[in-house]
Amino acid sequence: MRLIIRDHKAEAAQYISDYIVDRIKTFAPTPQKPFVLGLPTGSSPEGIYKRLVQRYRAGDISFKNVVTFNMDEYVGLPRDHPESYHSFMYKHFFSHVDVDPANINILNGNAPDLEAECIAYEEKIKHVGGIELFLGGIGPDGHIAFNEPGSSLTSRTRVKTLAYDTLQANSRYFSNDLSLVPRMALTVGVQTVLDAREVVVIITGAHKALALRKCIEDGVNHMWTLSSLQQHAHAMIVVDEDATLELQVKTVKYFKSIEQVATSEGFGQGLPSAASTRRKRDSVLQELNSPKSASPTGGKGFLFPPVVEAPRAVSPELVPDSMHQRLPPTPGLEGLEAKELKLDSMHERVDSPTEV
Amino acid sequence: MPIAVSPERPRTGVIKFTGGLIVKGDALVEEDLWISSVTGKILHSQEVFYDYHVIPDEVIDLRGKVLSPGFIDVQLNGAFGFDFSTVPEDMTTYHKGLKQLNKQLIQTGVTSYLPTLPSQQADVYHQTLPYLGPSGSSRNAADGSESLGAHCEGPFITESKCGIHSPSVLLTAPNGFADFETCYGASNLTPTTPHQKSPIALITAAPELPGIASAIPEITSRGIRFALGHTEATYETATAALQSGATMLTHLFNAMRPLHHRNPGPFGTLGKAAGADRPYFGIIADGIHLHPTTVKIAWNAHPAGFILVTDAMKTLGLPDGMYDWTNGDRWEKVGARLTREGTDTLAGSCATLGECVENFWEWSGASVPEVLRAVTATPAEMLGLGGVKGTLVKGADADLVVLDAREEGGRKKVRVEQVWKFGSRVS
Repeated sequence: MRLIIRDHKAEAAQYISDYIVDRIKTFAPTPQKPFVLGLPTGSSPEGIYKRLVQRYRAGDISFKNVVTFNMDEYVGLPRDHPESYHSFMYKHFFSHVDVDPANINILNGNAPDLEAECIAYEEKIKHVGGIELFLGGIGPDGHIAFNEPGSSLTSRTRVKTLAYDTLQANSRYFSNDLSLVPRMALTVGVQTVLDAREVVVIITGAHKALALRKCIEDGVNHMWTLSSLQQHAHAMIVVDEDATLELQVKTVKYFKSIEQVATSEGFGQGLPSAASTRRKRDSVLQELNSPKSASPTGGKGFLFPPVVEAPRAVSPELVPDSMHQRLPPTPGLEGLEAKELKLDSMHERVDSPTEV
Repeated sequence: MPIAVSPERPRTGVIKFTGGLIVKGDALVEEDLWISSVTGKILHSQEVFYDYHVIPDEVIDLRGKVLSPGFIDVQLNGAFGFDFSTVPEDMTTYHKGLKQLNKQLIQTGVTSYLPTLPSQQADVYHQTLPYLGPSGSSRNAADGSESLGAHCEGPFITESKCGIHSPSVLLTAPNGFADFETCYGASNLTPTTPHQKSPIALITAAPELPGIASAIPEITSRGIRFALGHTEATYETATAALQSGATMLTHLFNAMRPLHHRNPGPFGTLGKAAGADRPYFGIIADGIHLHPTTVKIAWNAHPAGFILVTDAMKTLGLPDGMYDWTNGDRWEKVGARLTREGTDTLAGSCATLGECVENFWEWSGASVPEVLRAVTATPAEMLGLGGVKGTLVKGADADLVVLDAREEGGRKKVRVEQVWKFGSRVS
């Protein structure tokens, strides 16, 4: 896992959006091979979208060949309700860029059969070849998408009842009236997120500091569903200083130094493309599997029958030695060092009776 | 793998306005507006986007300018040399002139209006009204500005407040509604088929005259709005007329009793109209008819009823000079000022609605959306066309103006940069 720490929320958002732009450009998506992007809603990602729109307007990036999957949507809230996630995405992102509406996938919280909607969603993701990069945010209780505490870490897209904490947190969007907040939502599962080739999460603000600690310093735990990210091969969390308040100083310094060293050595945080990794693996496999490569590298080896080696590594042979040999010579103690006892028989130490 | 990225999409006729400020209620917001050039209406962009996967064919970058509904003028007597009340020998000339006026008027940002007939002989109404009714049914942007119906200002008005209306043609209505039918023509008041609309949208009359007040319900029941004007009505008479169904005061302050602290006159109904809604009212903000402070007082008294009108004459859009009028009169135009030759009697105005908007903005200190409301949403609501005209909500007609509204050298300026009618650009 990589943890990127930036001073402020805006810089964290900018880091992610620039990262996404780079990833899409490197991927070079085409209509046949689109870039599949998982997207969140919420206040933390807002800044990311803002910056992505800026980059689009500057002509840096096109979303024409990007297929999007959103994480979640409320159940029963009209699609065009200002607080629906359809509206959020339209307002902050889709209406400003050149993404093809046919390539947009958002769960339909008003589907007649919600279960079928969820199954279809998973299938759609499979259909486009899986998600390349899943962008996420978390709640103060460490939930990713609407996978509230206690969600199975192998969960899939499904209907979810929202935790009281989440209802409370979201009531600010519904004129602070708890009764107006939808109580259920459709959400991708934890496993759906983990199946993405890469997961990038933004966490900003002091109120999410505890969640960040639980997710990266403690163990994998279903009470903090984001902690499952520890088992993902390519996970990156981007945070602001406020979000690190509960972390150990050591953790913060460690991740900062990693980034620093990597940067100074010319490594970005970039992910090798699937194609280039595959190429490398193929060539290694080819080498390993080809009969030629089985020949020993020794010069005259071919004259002798092949040596049959033990199938497992041997431990080094025991060489008995005395303890004192392993000690370095200690200067300044001459005459005082322990000397080996001479072997002699007891009778030699006794005075001879003949000398009378 | 079936990915729905179609390289060529069918054209949808959807146009997107972006990068500007949209008038939304009482705020200017940075949002996009989508319209359909096929239906000529405003779209709910999010709905179209998600439901039909539509991408705009054309994107208009507003470059920070203001996108407003097109202007509506509910009192326009003529312009560009054409006068709605002048009946030529051959009515085809009238028709041609009217068409020409519509095309020129729309360039000023006025996308719909009420062609207004000051007091005339009955035969003028009979001849002209069939031409002046609502003209937007074909929804053809090339037709130019659209009539929303005629405004009959008189002849049921009070002689002492007749202004430049000819006193010889003024009438009272001792027989009530029947007299209105005789004057305007029964078929112009009551459409022959239920689907037809009356060519008259608004009638201005003086309620204190015999038979007028009692005819108000008959008139308004036909969907025609009733305005009080050119009247000696007291506050009480005006209130009673509002209770009977009148909803508007024609050019407030002009040609009516002024505000007196013990008898507030028609103006008083802006404060309170017992038993009725406070009325809409027209204001001529040409800088000549009313003092700037008077305009501001009226606005502050009842902003929701405030409608800017031009009361412009055929000399609107023509160069300054002396012009022949009916009955052998000659009128002098100097800038926006129009007077009867050799007198100070005001004969309507020559200011464009855009100039009135500019003046009102300068004088009132109101916000841009509040100012624009006075020439868009408020007149539309007065005419019962809320949600159809004068607004940018989904389903409304895509009659739009792009405005450059800013302060320049200490004076507020409003310039009409683009005009759209029924979803097509016309200027």
